[in-house]
Amino acid sequence: MMRAADRSPFCAGMTGATLIFLYLPLAIVVLFSFHAVPSLSFPFAGFSLRWYREVFASAEFMDSVRNSAIVGAACALTTLVLGTMAAYGLTRVSPRLQALAGLLFFVPITLPGLFLGLALLVFFAQAKISLSLATVVVGHLIFVFPYFLLVARAALDRLDSALEEAAADLGATPWQVFWRVTMPQVWPVLAGATALAFALSVDEFVITFFVIGPQSTLPMYIWSSLRRTIDPSINTVSSLLLLLSLLLFAVAFALTMWKRPGRRWQ
Amino acid sequence: MTAGTFARPKIGPVLLLLPLAALVLLFFLAPLAVFVVYSVMTARLFAVAWPLTLEAYRLALTSPLNLELAINSIAIGVMTATVSVLCSLPVAYWLRYRAGRWQLPVLFLVTASMFASYLVRIYAWRTILGANGLVNRTLMELGLIDEPLGFLLFNWFSVVVALVHIFLPYVILVFFAALRPLTPAFLEAAQDLGADNLSRWRRIIVPLMTAPIVSAFLFVFVLSAADYITPQLIGGTGGQMLGVQIQTGFKAIGNWPLGAATALLMLIAFLGLYAIAQAALRASGLDRLRWAS
Repeated sequence: MMRAADRSPFCAGMTGATLIFLYLPLAIVVLFSFHAVPSLSFPFAGFSLRWYREVFASAEFMDSVRNSAIVGAACALTTLVLGTMAAYGLTRVSPRLQALAGLLFFVPITLPGLFLGLALLVFFAQAKISLSLATVVVGHLIFVFPYFLLVARAALDRLDSALEEAAADLGATPWQVFWRVTMPQVWPVLAGATALAFALSVDEFVITFFVIGPQSTLPMYIWSSLRRTIDPSINTVSSLLLLLSLLLFAVAFALTMWKRPGRRWQ
Repeated sequence: MTAGTFARPKIGPVLLLLPLAALVLLFFLAPLAVFVVYSVMTARLFAVAWPLTLEAYRLALTSPLNLELAINSIAIGVMTATVSVLCSLPVAYWLRYRAGRWQLPVLFLVTASMFASYLVRIYAWRTILGANGLVNRTLMELGLIDEPLGFLLFNWFSVVVALVHIFLPYVILVFFAALRPLTPAFLEAAQDLGADNLSRWRRIIVPLMTAPIVSAFLFVFVLSAADYITPQLIGGTGGQMLGVQIQTGFKAIGNWPLGAATALLMLIAFLGLYAIAQAALRASGLDRLRWAS
């Protein structure tokens, strides 16, 4: 049945080339993080963990890891609480208010990070708020919560509202309906979206650059290392950051796909 | 009758929206408003003062450097968006109609790559391209070339490569989602009616995909034209962009009104572009094109 042209060798080839293009540069970064010598070019002189030992011995690096963890956790938890409230509220307000709130809540991610970073920098200066990890959390919140909301709303919209109505008719208070009917159905997706928020925050650089004080986060640490020198220790930090992002993505992916076995992304 | 207690208008759900709305008002809309005010104030070193003036806008619009950087930004944005769209179409098509059991794994890989750190990706290209980059160094050490290959140096080309690397996964996913309602049966029908490969693309896929193609193009164009990190790391002298100038105006030179005015002019240009694209789509009727399902 399938004719030769149907196999689309061109499209298949483009897909293969795209995957190589997307992953080869990352593979090279990881490969050279294990390089035994400081050079970043072939021929490869052998494997060693020296750069990993060097990086983990650096107090500056450990500080940036701790700061990233603090900022990521603060941002993800705040997003979880405020985002869940808003997503739940959005399913229950009038369509007009829904459209208005949708606009308000999604404008922040339609603008390039440069504008948000600059506007916050100026705003904090005007309000005499000194830059710190707290200002970074604020910047990340504005950038991260729309993504959380997208995922959470999709999950809440898929719910069968008859269950909630039945519970309410049987005398459950709205609070009971939320915790005992809605939450048991959506918590995996909300947890996944929280992991997503954490991942986005840990990786964020464009806004962070403007609103961070004297401290450093992981991407800021990479940025300042880049200004000093280039050696495989930057590859090591980069590889660790890649590993963390991909782990968080895998967690978010697994949780949001939970309980839907055999379901395709169709 | 229909929704029981849920039908009554309630104040509760609105209250649930308030904390997030307050956050957006306080830390997004208010800062933007302050930013606009700063652009019409008088410049002091790392500060602003009265009186109100349009001096910053005059400076921003007449600076030859800004003009050159704006042209660079537009060129780099257009190239990045064009390459991203052209490469994503065949990939999305393959994923939608030809991937079979490979669909989920490949979609997973494409989505996962979006999560690879932005800065790490630019760094990856910095180690690969450039006079001292992996490619040139390796070729020289192997004795294949005597001096670095010119096109691999840090210039606009390396900026476009890194930006395509960053935005390609988004565009693939957008196109894949846009193709979802167009079932394989649809294309098979066209084929049975005698449409060859090319005319199926020309007469079915591209018209139906016009609206997503335009939005993806604008999305990539705006985000890459406003990038200020990539050109700093791998732009060399030929690949500098307006975003870098705005950033140094703020962080190094300390002329805040000038930086704010330049950024706002850029923002107005982007919004104008969105409006024009919307109007053009509406005028052509391509935004209302739907497939029967």
